[in-house]
Amino acid sequence: MVGKRNRRIKIRSVHTPLRLTSMMDILTVLLLFLLKSFVVEGEVMTPIPGVDLPESTSDTTPRAAVVIAIFDDSVMMDGDVVASVSAAVASPDLLIESLAARLDEARVKAEEIARYRGGEEVFEGKVSIQGDRDINFAILQRVMFTCTVSGYEDISLAVIGTS
Amino acid sequence: MRTSTRKRYRNIIESDLEIMPLMNLFVAMIPMLLISAVFLNVTVINMKAPPDSADANESNNKRENLALAITIKDNYFVVEGRKIQKSVIARSDADAEVQLAAALANVVATHPDNQDVMIISQPDTQYGDIVAVMDVSRESGLPSVSLLGVE
Repeated sequence: MVGKRNRRIKIRSVHTPLRLTSMMDILTVLLLFLLKSFVVEGEVMTPIPGVDLPESTSDTTPRAAVVIAIFDDSVMMDGDVVASVSAAVASPDLLIESLAARLDEARVKAEEIARYRGGEEVFEGKVSIQGDRDINFAILQRVMFTCTVSGYEDISLAVIGTS
Repeated sequence: MRTSTRKRYRNIIESDLEIMPLMNLFVAMIPMLLISAVFLNVTVINMKAPPDSADANESNNKRENLALAITIKDNYFVVEGRKIQKSVIARSDADAEVQLAAALANVVATHPDNQDVMIISQPDTQYGDIVAVMDVSRESGLPSVSLLGVE
């Protein structure tokens, strides 16, 4: 009896290889699902972080276009802040000078590219406005006016589609 | 006989399936696909810009028929146009949008060839409200929307 209590039980370390089978199942299914949705739709327009798009029942798919984002106090074009909302709204003029200058640059570049491609492509003045749902009509009106004056007349408003 | 089969089994080399290269593939592809995955369905509303003085005449000729306009004020919507009875809908009503849709459906029923509507907003009207009114007009059968402002 005493001997049994004194006997130390040696625990032999057991080597168990990591069983990855179930994790592989999860990853395979996830990968196939993401591949399927990527191939079907791709990503034409990424919502800009910081913009809370309004919801709408519209189901028109977006096309690639110059993106103008309006949120908080900034007006951004293709990722760069080009104007301030408060400054633009304070001015009685509908034209936003800095935005117009950037749009003109972009239009000249796009027209040159269209010319290089030998007239197969025509410059389509497409612009997409991603506005936060809380912005005022005053800044939207000024941005839309500036786009039209700079040759971008095909304006689309980005929204979150709800069925 | 038995010893020889045992020897054969002992000579078979056991090897685990090499999953690590496959795991590398998953670790690389899944974050990329997750980032580009479409979780938010971004759609667009195609627009006509607010007309400036040069375009106003041309588009006014077309709209001379009805000039249907929805004015968004702080507390109410006004639906008016030529030959259309003006209706005022309080925005504080729970079913304001339903009333607006009914008013527009009425106009579409009496003037089925008209597809234009102008949405006149105040400078401080919220964009979300304008989009909601655009939705209501599109669903009532007025797909062609223009935005105008009050000077």
